[in-house]
Amino acid sequence: MKTNQKKAWLYLAPTIIFVTLFSIYPILRAFGMSFQSGSLIDLTWTGFNNYKYIFNDPEFWLAIKNTLLYAVISVPVGLAISIMLAWIIFDKVKHKALFETTFFMPYVTSTIAIGIVFRYIFNGDYGMLNFLLRAVHLPAPDWIDDPAMSLTTIIIFGIWSSLAFNIVILMGALRNIDPNFYTIADMYGASGKDKFWRITMPQLVPTIAFLLTMNIIGAFKIYTSVYALFNGAAGVGNSGTTAVFYIYNKFQTVGTPGVAMAATVVLFLIILFATFLQRKMMKKIGEN
Amino acid sequence: MKKIRLGVVFSYIILFIFAFITVFPFIYMILGGLMNFQETTSIPPTLIPHHFEWSNYAKVFARAPFGRYFFNTVLTATVTTVVSLFNSLLGAFAMVNLRFKGKGVIQMVMLSLLMVPGEAIIFTNYNTIAHLGLLNTYIGLVLPFLTSIFYMYYLQSYFGSISTTIYKAAMIDGASDWDYIWKILVPMSKSGLFTVGLLSFISGWNSFLWPLLVTNEDTMRLLNNGLSAFASDAGSETQLQLAAATLTVLPILILYFIFRKQIIRGVVRNEIKG
Repeated sequence: MKTNQKKAWLYLAPTIIFVTLFSIYPILRAFGMSFQSGSLIDLTWTGFNNYKYIFNDPEFWLAIKNTLLYAVISVPVGLAISIMLAWIIFDKVKHKALFETTFFMPYVTSTIAIGIVFRYIFNGDYGMLNFLLRAVHLPAPDWIDDPAMSLTTIIIFGIWSSLAFNIVILMGALRNIDPNFYTIADMYGASGKDKFWRITMPQLVPTIAFLLTMNIIGAFKIYTSVYALFNGAAGVGNSGTTAVFYIYNKFQTVGTPGVAMAATVVLFLIILFATFLQRKMMKKIGEN
Repeated sequence: MKKIRLGVVFSYIILFIFAFITVFPFIYMILGGLMNFQETTSIPPTLIPHHFEWSNYAKVFARAPFGRYFFNTVLTATVTTVVSLFNSLLGAFAMVNLRFKGKGVIQMVMLSLLMVPGEAIIFTNYNTIAHLGLLNTYIGLVLPFLTSIFYMYYLQSYFGSISTTIYKAAMIDGASDWDYIWKILVPMSKSGLFTVGLLSFISGWNSFLWPLLVTNEDTMRLLNNGLSAFASDAGSETQLQLAAATLTVLPILILYFIFRKQIIRGVVRNEIKG
């Protein structure tokens, strides 16, 4: 047993060293820095001033508001569409793998590249989307250049990107449902609707809970897709700013790392709280 | 009977609409990269270019060092993948097959670190890299990603399904742990390691925020950063931006179509267990 001890630590050493340096230390450092002011090379203790600063900063509140709205709208809508599509593929389609492969494409491709493509599809003048909307006489807003539309555009892009992962995970869960359930339901003459609501949905609850958690965490971290859609900015006049945008801006552009880290700590706590709350809720639903 | 048929038709219509929405940006990207400038901004929009402008690609390579971006991206994604896979492999082996004090603590710490969003630590990691004088270096680009708790956790579940009696038998036969890892564990979990490697390579290829922070020299940029910089510089030349986007996406898309089964299965297995 003695030799085993040493050996085990030896095998774990690279992981432990890297994790300590680049995961554990930075968390503690971020927390510490949130109480410091000055530039990166000259940090001094400042107490709760950074937190006071962000809570009085309208830009911070806009970032939080946008991030929350994005999460609250894009996650449920994306998940609902994903459930519908996964169920159709699972229940009605023969070439399941073909559709799975198709829907999963956005997951492996670069957000920056596809964001650039979306920027042109969404273009107010010559974009494909507005061409189609005009063709059916619907209003054709200026998706990219109108500050009032920024968040809507981000949400649509977010929903489009989220389908990939959701559908594939849901398909995995659907395949795991005991086929005997459906056979028995058929014997009793259950309708498709009954089968979906009485068998499929209850069986999917753990998967949906998992996807909700993952999607919400992902939504709170949104940054790259906004960057790509608006060419490096957060929409016209910063109208589409998000929490990570705010942190990046305060850290790199403005050069106040303490303020950025205070915002990071707040974002981190929000994510923890959301995860916790959501798990509790799902447990309740699972019990009923 | 008629009612059921109608339901099926309706389902298919929905499915095809969404499949079209999913695929369309990719098609538009590839076709748009082959249009001339007038076609990309015409009203009504052009879908099929009148003449394929392959010269767009030559222009992209002439305007920005995309060859260099490719090299940087392949290099950093490969190094990250190989080293992190190696480290996770050793760690996962120790966690599954060896008995030692503190194992429970390690497992708990690793699991709670899985909850920490990367965005929360990326800025302080930038600080560390800057202090070490590693900005604009390959080492700086890869250093924080040379191990992955996520992949270690994944491999643990994979190795756990290989019976411990095999390990014990190997030990009795006088094999060392090192032998066991390379002669038994690795060959037996080849497909799992391959999948993890693929996923790691893809996420390395698509990384954006970290290289954006630690590089500002054009020669050190990765593809996605090069692409976004090019999109700002190329300004109004839509067709060149779309050609550059195609360059960034196509290699991964090809890799994806070849290994789609492994990739999808890997992601499903990954997440369900987590």
